[in-house]
Amino acid sequence: MNTSKPVNMNYLSTTWSIARYSLLENYKNRFFGLFIIFAGVLIYASLLAGVMAVDEEARVLADLGLALMELISLAYALLAAADAITREIRTKTIYLVFSRPVPRPAYLAGKAAGLYAASALMLGVMALIHLSLLYSRGFAAPPFYAKAVFFIWCKLLIITSAGLFISLFATSTVSAVAIMGILWTLGHFTSEAQFLISRSSGASGLALKAVAYAIPDLQLFNARDLAASAAAPPAAGFLAVYLLLWLTVPYLFSLLLFRKKEF
Amino acid sequence: MKTTSYLVLPLAAALAMAGPWAFLTYPPPFPPADRIREVGQSAVEDSLALALGLRRLAADLWYIRLLQYYGTPEVERPPDETGRHELEAGFGGGRYREFLPMARHLLALDPYFTSAGLYAAGSLAFNMSRPDEALSLLNEALIYRPKEWKYVKLLAAIGYSKAHDPSKVSELLMSLIMEPDCPVMIRQQAAFLNKKAGNYRVAYRIYKTILKTTKDPFYIDNARKEMAKLEKLNADLN
Repeated sequence: MNTSKPVNMNYLSTTWSIARYSLLENYKNRFFGLFIIFAGVLIYASLLAGVMAVDEEARVLADLGLALMELISLAYALLAAADAITREIRTKTIYLVFSRPVPRPAYLAGKAAGLYAASALMLGVMALIHLSLLYSRGFAAPPFYAKAVFFIWCKLLIITSAGLFISLFATSTVSAVAIMGILWTLGHFTSEAQFLISRSSGASGLALKAVAYAIPDLQLFNARDLAASAAAPPAAGFLAVYLLLWLTVPYLFSLLLFRKKEF
Repeated sequence: MKTTSYLVLPLAAALAMAGPWAFLTYPPPFPPADRIREVGQSAVEDSLALALGLRRLAADLWYIRLLQYYGTPEVERPPDETGRHELEAGFGGGRYREFLPMARHLLALDPYFTSAGLYAAGSLAFNMSRPDEALSLLNEALIYRPKEWKYVKLLAAIGYSKAHDPSKVSELLMSLIMEPDCPVMIRQQAAFLNKKAGNYRVAYRIYKTILKTTKDPFYIDNARKEMAKLEKLNADLN
């Protein structure tokens, strides 16, 4: 008797249920709402900077809004990823989950998917607020807007995926957030890392290369900054593979760690 | 457990290869950090901008600072009979020692901010009579935007202005002024040169464009005033 199909279906439906529950949990979290309100206030406060830029108001409003959207959704993603599983372990609700026939890979995939969806929801709401501001000032969204928002989400997916893995071995939520913050920062230092690599040699050069290559290159997804760049953009196929690898590998490492834990 | 272990190794290897591949295939589009020279006490702010991937936003903030710095008069000029300050003769003049370092800083952060590059170079050349500094700024800007024809045109216009050939300057600026990212200051210069050369109709049209395209109250006021003057001089302007 072939049982692989029902097992796969069960795996998928469990993942879907956990993802949906995780998204709802995030949505009902009061910090989720507070972050969006805070973002809305800040985005509208950026009007002042726009007015100061006189004839470059459209550019400043677009840039400041996108940057605020990214930073605020990053702050939420860091906290949510660092706390998503550890909170359930701390509050022992995870025992309830695993008292049912829930496969661990499905639980982990569902948790990750819920966080990805929460980031998308947050970004979507903030983009609407931002676009309403741009339109109210008589400006259209810049041509790279949709790409910039989508790529912000891609960066959030990478950091969330890495964050879930980090949270499984970090000693506290704060240390997990700190490590993820450092990863985010280093991920944007590609130009500087390349410059440093070109200036260093020997063991230090090799060490620098190893570190630089092991860190996610978030600058590849920085469509916000690269809007008018003359350099050839990275190929979409490569970006898709790179993103997929950065989602899958931390997930698999998380799974290895997660399986060793006893619930 | 075994499947995960079998999958993780090749995928981790693929990820380890993707890092160097990305590094080698896609050169950084921005100037390296050593091109950014500290202006004032900007080091912390610059580091933050680089660390968070916010170079474009940092350039925007430096542009606002440049506008504010240049908008603060170094030399007080008496207002004209209407109580307003004359924009044309000697407008924007002064030493503004920090102007060039600030403009360089801005373009080192975001070399693709063309309108800021044009604004800074135009102000240096035409308002502050420092064409050599303007040329050096444009040459630096061209390193990262070698195909930017607007920089090349402005470079040529500044060259002719050094050679005291206002008609050629005006001709070159004319090709810039219809561009949406042309700074109002360049439009103003083009209108001024055309008016001086007796091309009243062209000057009038440029002032009209200024009225439609800028939000800067100084330039709007001046354009209205100049249009009124031109209307008095020549009735057939439209």
